[in-house]
Amino acid sequence: MAKESCEDRGAMAASKGGGAVVRVAEMEKMSLEHLKSLKEQSDLEVNLLQDSLNNIRTATARLEIASNALQDLSLRPQGKKMLVPLTASLYVPGTLEDADNVLVDVGTGYFIEKTMSEGRDYCERKINLLKSNFDQLIEVASKTKSVADEAGMVLQARLRQAGPVS
Amino acid sequence: MGSLRELQHELETKTNDLSKLQKEIAKNHQVRKKYTIQLGENELVLKELDMLNEDANVFKLIGPVLVKQDLAEANANVRKRIDYISAELKRLDGTIQDLEEKQNGKNESIMKLQQRIHTLQAGKAKA
Repeated sequence: MAKESCEDRGAMAASKGGGAVVRVAEMEKMSLEHLKSLKEQSDLEVNLLQDSLNNIRTATARLEIASNALQDLSLRPQGKKMLVPLTASLYVPGTLEDADNVLVDVGTGYFIEKTMSEGRDYCERKINLLKSNFDQLIEVASKTKSVADEAGMVLQARLRQAGPVS
Repeated sequence: MGSLRELQHELETKTNDLSKLQKEIAKNHQVRKKYTIQLGENELVLKELDMLNEDANVFKLIGPVLVKQDLAEANANVRKRIDYISAELKRLDGTIQDLEEKQNGKNESIMKLQQRIHTLQAGKAKA
């Protein structure tokens, strides 16, 4: 029986969105320290969101590989001879015993027996879920990034103003 | 003179307390993050299990072995775990809030202490 693992652990790490939209006008009223901490915090958030986006990207790539592998496997007849990888460089010969069913790793140690087409469905579903999460996150990330940039700009202007005086 | 030294000593202990609190808060946040991830994963698994036919084969990985499990049993297990993790998250939220309140209190008292030290020093400089 072929084993197909499609995990996306951690990719869905809940990331708090920078909901507070702080505009330049408000920033100009803030104290220097407040502004600095705002900038630091939004920078941190941007990094976190970027990490989450990267995780989702790798998870999607892995699911796509799994889906392709399933497609490939579903074309082989039962009893087909193949080489099974034990490690990255060690392969042993084997025969395909069950050409219809695969085991899908759904996470937390649970595996579900599915047919090839169900398995592909599973991968597609997961890819779509990840895509929609990705789109949502990218929106939040760009918003947070613009807040961080604006804060940086106001901060620099403020520092330049304060510079010549002191 | 003596009181200034005393105040500075107090300030030092308070700052130590504060950094201890901050460390604890960070640790709690980390644990909370871990649990949130686990909760999300379990919910995904539950969704998958809910979609299955009753005669579907479900296996659980225990160590290196796959053990066949009853679908109903697996379902109940995942549900139980979600309940547990949710309760744990709620508890953690409580502790984090508690710690943050303590942190704010400490911050305030440190500020007050610094002010007192400042005024004392200023008074001495004048004298």
